Parts: sequence; structure tokens; C-alpha cells
Amino acid sequence: MADEPSETRTGTGQVPDDEDTDADDATAPVGQGTPALAPDEAAIYVEGLSKTFGKGDEAVHAVEDVSFAVAPGEVVGLLGPNGAGKTTTIKSILGLVLPDEGEARVHGIDVHEHPRQAYEYVDAMLEGARNDYWRLTVRENLRYFAAIRGQDPDTLADRHDELLEQFDLSHAADTAVRDLSRGMKQKVSLASVLAGDVSVAFLDEPTLGLDVESSLKLRTELTRLAEERGITLVISSHDMEVIEDVCDRVVIMNEGRVIVDDSVADLLAGFETKGYRITARGVDDAVLEDLRDRFDLTDVERTGDRTRFEVAADTAAFYRLTDAMEAHDLELAGVETVQPDLAEAFVEMTGGGDGTMGVPADSETAPEEAQVSAPPASDGGEHR
Amino acid sequence: MTTAEGDGGEPTGPPTAREPVRTGGYYHLLKAVVYRDLLIWVRYPLNAALGLFMGIFFFGLMFYGGTLVAGQAFSDTIEGLIVGYFLWTLALGAYSGIMNDIQSEASWGTLERHFMTPFGFGPVVFAKSVAIVFRTFLTSAVILALMLLVTGTTLELNLVTVLPVTVLTILGALGLGLVMGGLGVLYKRISNVANILQFAFIGLISAPVFDLWWTRFLPLAQGSAMLQRAMRDGVRLWEFEPTALAILVGTAVLYLGIGYAVFGLTTRRARRLGVLGDY
Repeated sequence: MADEPSETRTGTGQVPDDEDTDADDATAPVGQGTPALAPDEAAIYVEGLSKTFGKGDEAVHAVEDVSFAVAPGEVVGLLGPNGAGKTTTIKSILGLVLPDEGEARVHGIDVHEHPRQAYEYVDAMLEGARNDYWRLTVRENLRYFAAIRGQDPDTLADRHDELLEQFDLSHAADTAVRDLSRGMKQKVSLASVLAGDVSVAFLDEPTLGLDVESSLKLRTELTRLAEERGITLVISSHDMEVIEDVCDRVVIMNEGRVIVDDSVADLLAGFETKGYRITARGVDDAVLEDLRDRFDLTDVERTGDRTRFEVAADTAAFYRLTDAMEAHDLELAGVETVQPDLAEAFVEMTGGGDGTMGVPADSETAPEEAQVSAPPASDGGEHR
Repeated sequence: MTTAEGDGGEPTGPPTAREPVRTGGYYHLLKAVVYRDLLIWVRYPLNAALGLFMGIFFFGLMFYGGTLVAGQAFSDTIEGLIVGYFLWTLALGAYSGIMNDIQSEASWGTLERHFMTPFGFGPVVFAKSVAIVFRTFLTSAVILALMLLVTGTTLELNLVTVLPVTVLTILGALGLGLVMGGLGVLYKRISNVANILQFAFIGLISAPVFDLWWTRFLPLAQGSAMLQRAMRDGVRLWEFEPTALAILVGTAVLYLGIGYAVFGLTTRRARRLGVLGDY
């Protein structure tokens, strides 16, 4: 597990509680206050969610005092290393796990107090391709999951055709899901979640198992869904490109807590001035020593008369560095900004994580494995 | 339904929420669940055919073996055996059907989706129960027809009597299936206990309800005795003693109620432990 990060980023998702807002505590822990949106303004509103599994020495604090809110139509990425508490948070919001404390609302409706009303709005893809019936055809799955969500499948037939088209599944509409590739199964799962015409969807690893092209297409479709249909999405994914491309905001969790809640743009901007990669000529040992003393130089490489190094600096520090180089009469041969991507931001925020970038422990469980572990069914054996 | 029915209180969605437009209702739920159950059953044709074959095969073993050993004495009791076997296949189908369905859904990752419906988990489980009872009736009817054909026996099949008596009888088995299904969601591996219970049904179906009064209150027992009278002696539904009917209805409601309550408790416990969808 990653070390506790030394600082947290206060984002747009919540404001600290009163006790955290004193002048000396401007950087109060994020995700532990009151969400910035009011409960009835938010599509998803979570406040003070906590869940501990087990007791005594073996207790695992899966989720601790998590708070955030998602505006209607917003697309939020939920990131975190394995064991960060993402899945428990999602399942607690959905009422599939009973939290010890806290509240979760969907469009203002308390999920734990009034689950049936809340489920009018929300559905989730929690098990990736393990989310529908493999013995049924693609269309049969869409019709079934629409019906159990209170829809007449015949009335939604056009919408289902649209979804099949959108996810490039039209040609496989009457094919049993088990005969499809892993990536297509994933798309069927996603389509079946949207088949019930929900306005809020939680997607756990929606691109897991997809090839690059399929992933790209799916990202485009997710963006379109959000833009055209105003659907609110919470996407838990280890695929940083999905988060960067699709999400408006990112909530990063670590050790059961929200450590970052910020817009993707702001999060990356915060790292944009992380540093520069500079190549110069005429740097001798004395000059290099002087620059090292005054600036945070790393990765120094010398090739012939060229010296390349990286420097952690904001814009002001960069200009001080160029002034210093000019004073030393150095020839500036090249400057590149070191642009961090979301993956780097994530690793830095979580203190390195465990290197798995948030892939849920159970996400890679092959469905076949799950089938093998199923109990013998005397009435029909394996039904999947 | 046009809107979900309340489960307590009247929460109001905010104006920013896109109001859900519901085009279906309980009819669509029931139709979808029954259709899905039948579809999956026929999509495993070998398994479905083997189930029917084994059903009639075991009866054939009993019939020809019994005739060989006991001769005419066995043949005199063949009607009772057919009725008892018919009820056993029904009870077993309902019990293992709902139990395996719940456990399979948990292992496939689809159980949680059934939990997250605007209908609530209860109506969905009820729809599943109806689907399983319906399918079990279809298969058991085929087995019954084959048994009658093989043995050359005739029985009274007054549907107005046989149908309600059998349905009420197997509701107890359904209740036990819900108990085991719920325990399966919670503890994952319960096949040893579950399999033993299947054989306990034989004892319940042949319970001496006329000699030991209290056995009437066990699952299946009262219904079994009444079904024997209905199918062998042609007793009509309205000809049964009111007490017998009351016990039949009472035990059906009791055991189904217990089953549903235990299922509710175990799934709630599973949610507390975070294992509802994990297998």
C-alpha cells in the first residue's frame, strides 16, 4: 500500500467542514467535508461515508469519511490503487454494501432509505463482462435488463437499436454473448446498463479487455452519452486515457480516503510547471555545481560538450535559471517542458500506489473461473 | 408502472433530475423473468434432455425393480408411487431451482443488478420463483405423462384441484430453496447441506400425516397427503376438510414466509459484509 500522501488537493467537489476551515488549515483533507453541491442539486451526493470490514485487529477500514458530489451530466473518474476503497465506495453509494456511517443520495434521494426510488435513476456495470447472461443473445440481454428496470422492451426497441449501433454491436445483436470476444462482451455489459434508460451510471473498468481501437471508440461514445443525453457517469478505471479523455473531474482515493477531488484540467495544470528538460553547451563542473546548489537539478547527462538535465521549477524559477545560465555564458541548445500525464499525477498523489494503477483485484477474474466455482445446479447446471 | 412505488416516505426528486419515464411494469418484469428462465433452460439442450431422462430413468428403476422384487404387492401401490414421485420432482425442481438460480446469479455478477431495480428485490425474487415453478411444472408434467405411459396407470387429473394443491405444496420447498439460496450468498459453499435436504423431501412427502398429526405442519407433508387423495381417489378441492385446506395454505405461507425472511436477512448480512456479489 502506498504511503500516506503528504498533501492533498482541494478541488471543486467539496468544501471542508467548519472544523477544517480555520485559517491555519487551508489545506484541509479533501473528500472529508461537506460536498460543494447541495444534496438536491447533485446527481450523486456522498457525505461522510465510512465502511469497516471485520473487527478488532483484523478490521479493515475500506472507506473512511468519504464525501463528494457529482453534478447532473458530469463525468467523474474514480481512481486509486488496489484496495483504495473505490469499489466499496461505489457499492456503498448503490446500497449493495451497507456503510457504517454516512449518506449517499442519487438525485436527492437517499439510496439507503428509499432504494427503489433511487434505482429509478441509476444502474451500474460492476463486474465488467460478468454483468449479463452469456447464454442469451445481445438483444435478449438488453431487453431483459430493460424489463427488470421497469421498461417495456418493445417500447425501447428503437433505443436498443441505437445502442447496438453506437457500440458497434448491430451485427452481433442476435449472437449469444458467450460467442463474442472479451471486448465485445464488455460492450454488451455497458449497453445493457444503458438499456434501461437511466440518467446515472457507475462504470467499473468499462474499457478493461478492449483493444486500443475499441477503447477509443468507447471513450468517444461515453463522451457522446454524457454530452447528448446528459447522463451522469462515474467511471472507475485504471486506464488513464479514459479518465483524461472522458472525465470532467477526477476523484483519487487512497487507503479508503479521497485524497484528490479536482477537475482533470486543473489537476494536470497543477503539474504542468513541474519541470523542464534543458540542454546546454559549455557547462563545466563548477557551473554545474553552482546550478545544482541553486536549483533542483535531476537526471544530468553529459555527452561531449552538451549537458542535459531536468529541473523542477515553476515559471519564475525557470526564468531565474535561464538568467543564471546567461550569467555563466552558457549556450542554451534546447528546452522542453516535462508534461506530466494523469498517470504521473496519480502516482504522485497516491505516493506511488502499488504500481497497479487501480485495477480492481477482482476485475481480472476470468468469468470462466467464476463459472467453474459455481455450485452444481441440479436443475440446469451452468446457466450462464 | 409509471413511477416506482414507494418503499416508505415520499422523497421528492429535485428539478435538476431527469425524471425517469417508465414504460413497463410488473407484467413486463414477470414476462421477462419467465422468458429468460425458459430461454436459458433450452439453451442447454443436453442438460434439459438429461434432466428429463434421469427423471424417468430413476422412476423406471424403481418401478421395474419393485415389480421384480415385490410383484403384485408393488403394483398395487404404483399410483401412490407415481403421485409421490411427481410431487418429489416438483418440490426438488422448485427447491434447487431457486437456490441454484440465486447462487448462480451471485457467481455470475448479475445478482446485484437484480437488487438494483426500481421494483425492489422482493418482486424480482417472486418473479423468479414463478418462473421456476412454471418451468418445473412443465418438466414434471412430462415426467408424469411418461410414468403413466410406462406403467399403464391412470390417475385423476382434475386441474382445478391438482394445480392449487401442488402449487401450495411446493411453496414450502420454494421457501427452503430461498433459505439455502440466501445462505449460499452469505457462505458461498453450502452444497453438502443443500444436497442432503433434497433427500429429506422423500421423508416429508411420505410423512404419516394421519398417524402423527404434527407431521402435517412440516413442509410438503400435508400437501402430499392431499395430492394423493386428489389424484388417486378423485377428491375435489372443495371436498377436502376446511382444516386440511387451512393447514395446506398455512404451511405454504409459513414456510415461504420463513424462506423469504431468512433470504432477506442473509442478503442484508451479505450487504453488511460486502459479499452480495462476490463469489
